[in-house]
Amino acid sequence: MRSIRLYLLLSLIATITLVNFVSLLHGYQSSMEQAQQLFDSRLQSMAKLIAAANHDQTERAPLPQQQTPYVFFQIWDHNKKLIIRSSNAPSLSLSVLTPGFHDVNYESYRWRNFIFHDELSQRWIVTAERSDIRYSLAEQVVLKSISPIILGIPVAAFIIWWAISLGLRPLRNLTEQLKLKQANDLSPIIIEHTPTELIQVVQTTNALFSRLDDAFQREHQFSTDVAHELRTPVSVLKVHLHNLQTTFGDNNEELNLLRQGVNRMGHLIEQILALYRAAPDQAMSKFCTIDLYSLAQNSIATNYGLFEEKQQTIELTGEPSPMAGDQFALETLLHNLLSNSCKYTPVGGQIVISVESSTAGVNLTIEDSGVGIPSNQYVRVFERFYRLYDDQYNSETIGCGLGLAIVKHIVELHHAFIELGQSKFKSGLKVTINFPIEANQPW
Amino acid sequence: MLLNAVILTLREVIEASLIVSLFLAFCQLSGQPKKTILAALFLGLLSAILYAFNISAISQWQNGIGQEIVNASICFLVYLFLLIFLATFIKSDPKSSKQLQSLAMVVGITLATTQEGAEIILYLLGFTFSPELFRPVLFGSLIGAGIGLSFGIFIYYLLINVSKKSSLRIGFIMILLIAGSMIMQAIQLLTQIDWISSQYPLWDSSAFINERSLTGQLLYALIGYEATPTPIQVISYVVSLMLILALSAYLYFRDQRQPNA
Repeated sequence: MRSIRLYLLLSLIATITLVNFVSLLHGYQSSMEQAQQLFDSRLQSMAKLIAAANHDQTERAPLPQQQTPYVFFQIWDHNKKLIIRSSNAPSLSLSVLTPGFHDVNYESYRWRNFIFHDELSQRWIVTAERSDIRYSLAEQVVLKSISPIILGIPVAAFIIWWAISLGLRPLRNLTEQLKLKQANDLSPIIIEHTPTELIQVVQTTNALFSRLDDAFQREHQFSTDVAHELRTPVSVLKVHLHNLQTTFGDNNEELNLLRQGVNRMGHLIEQILALYRAAPDQAMSKFCTIDLYSLAQNSIATNYGLFEEKQQTIELTGEPSPMAGDQFALETLLHNLLSNSCKYTPVGGQIVISVESSTAGVNLTIEDSGVGIPSNQYVRVFERFYRLYDDQYNSETIGCGLGLAIVKHIVELHHAFIELGQSKFKSGLKVTINFPIEANQPW
Repeated sequence: MLLNAVILTLREVIEASLIVSLFLAFCQLSGQPKKTILAALFLGLLSAILYAFNISAISQWQNGIGQEIVNASICFLVYLFLLIFLATFIKSDPKSSKQLQSLAMVVGITLATTQEGAEIILYLLGFTFSPELFRPVLFGSLIGAGIGLSFGIFIYYLLINVSKKSSLRIGFIMILLIAGSMIMQAIQLLTQIDWISSQYPLWDSSAFINERSLTGQLLYALIGYEATPTPIQVISYVVSLMLILALSAYLYFRDQRQPNA
């Protein structure tokens, strides 16, 4: 993941370091050259000063006292004979006596000397200084001026880091607000002192939230109205059907067909409403701690009539498994899976439900001894209105092809994983749903 | 002293930053975790310290030429792992290819950092007994390291912000430069210890770019510049680059044949 903060921090520090250090090197070189010129002029002045202060024309013993071991002088007469020298100076000439600056070697060191021709007394004055000491002195002076710049880089880095953090605070604020928003919270984002760069983002996001809120409310109203408008006539139809069956008896084939049709229509309406409620975008996500094991127990008890009718054996294994979830959605999930198992398992068949809890999460497994699903259909069965064995079972069972689509929505709502496979029986389907612990949090 | 320290540190840090920024950018663009690269960098620094503090034992090896042998071997190995890194693009099995890629990157960075880091540490250690010289050397090293690291940061952001095609091109040129530089350094080290006989240089470009100048040293770090190269150096340099080019040409034509591969 690319971080704007890290990019700004590193690129700014790199720019400052590069520009500063390159200029610093340039400054260092210029300062060193200037310092060398200064030392040269000092050497020059020293030679002229010696010429003015000393008028010896005859040879003398070397001066006994030596103040600085890094500097020496010699005075030569017009015959190039040494008149006097400092105690550390050589008794020989280190270079040809020509006026100007020379770099010579003496006593394992490099020396910078200046030769001055005293026109008045026809003498040669040689002053010399050790080059490494000159260089070191100059470097020490220059270092004093550049060291604050080098040591200032970490300080600059800290200030830049702080300034960037401050500058990015509104963006972080916006991210935090968006991250903490619940799925059903479509209230506008409020950022104090919104920076110019974020005004458009905040305005567009808030406008989008507002339109979404309106759309969801319209949809909610519509589904409530539709549910009411459709449920009522179906209930009325069922009452009239009951009256007709009382009048004409239970064996009237046409009335039985009519009853099946009305029941299927009622089932379809209930499933469409369940699908709407379980859709992740619409789910109210009222997550609470639910024991999936006891929920499965209740679901079996509620649907027991169905299994009894087909003389099927139903078995529940496992242990209490608390997890975070939406109770209504999970009830719908269990109901749909159990009724599917019942529907596609023959008379006298077996259905085994297992709820197990582990450190990774809660696992729900439903296995039956029914007809199963071919493995190449595992993906398609989750599509809305897709019906497997349509011809074979259509006339006998109520179904609209929404059951597994709803299950999938509920699984997604809980950030869980569903897997279809072969059951442990000779034939049949095994549905495994894993509700991971870390993902099993409210939106 | 300061300038010498700047040049030496800059040369070493630039070499290491080029390799690290190249592999970091590759990880960023291919979605691979950058932790391994940072771990390799840390490992390299650690082994550089170990190498530097055991230099006397290493130098004694093989009658006093141990350091040159180790350094030349590191250069050859870095070259080899750069080749392996390129070759991983040829392998059809993505899982084993990714593992090999990570290995090539980790070993490459660890080896390069070990060598470059040890050189800097040894240079600094040489001045610890002379306080008046240590200060300019330390400041010089800080300046050199600062410039080298900044250069690496710019290369990294350049690689990850340009188009994929451009970053591939720049990355490829960088691999060529680093690989050539590694081979050149290895041959120089082997010539120093007479494992490769010294020959009459093919040309002398020191009047144009002096090897000891700042430009010369930077070019040494970037392309293994040598003002007076011997025929064996030039041949090795050309052959090492030809190997990489041949490998890349194979990759390119394979992709041309299988556009969806």
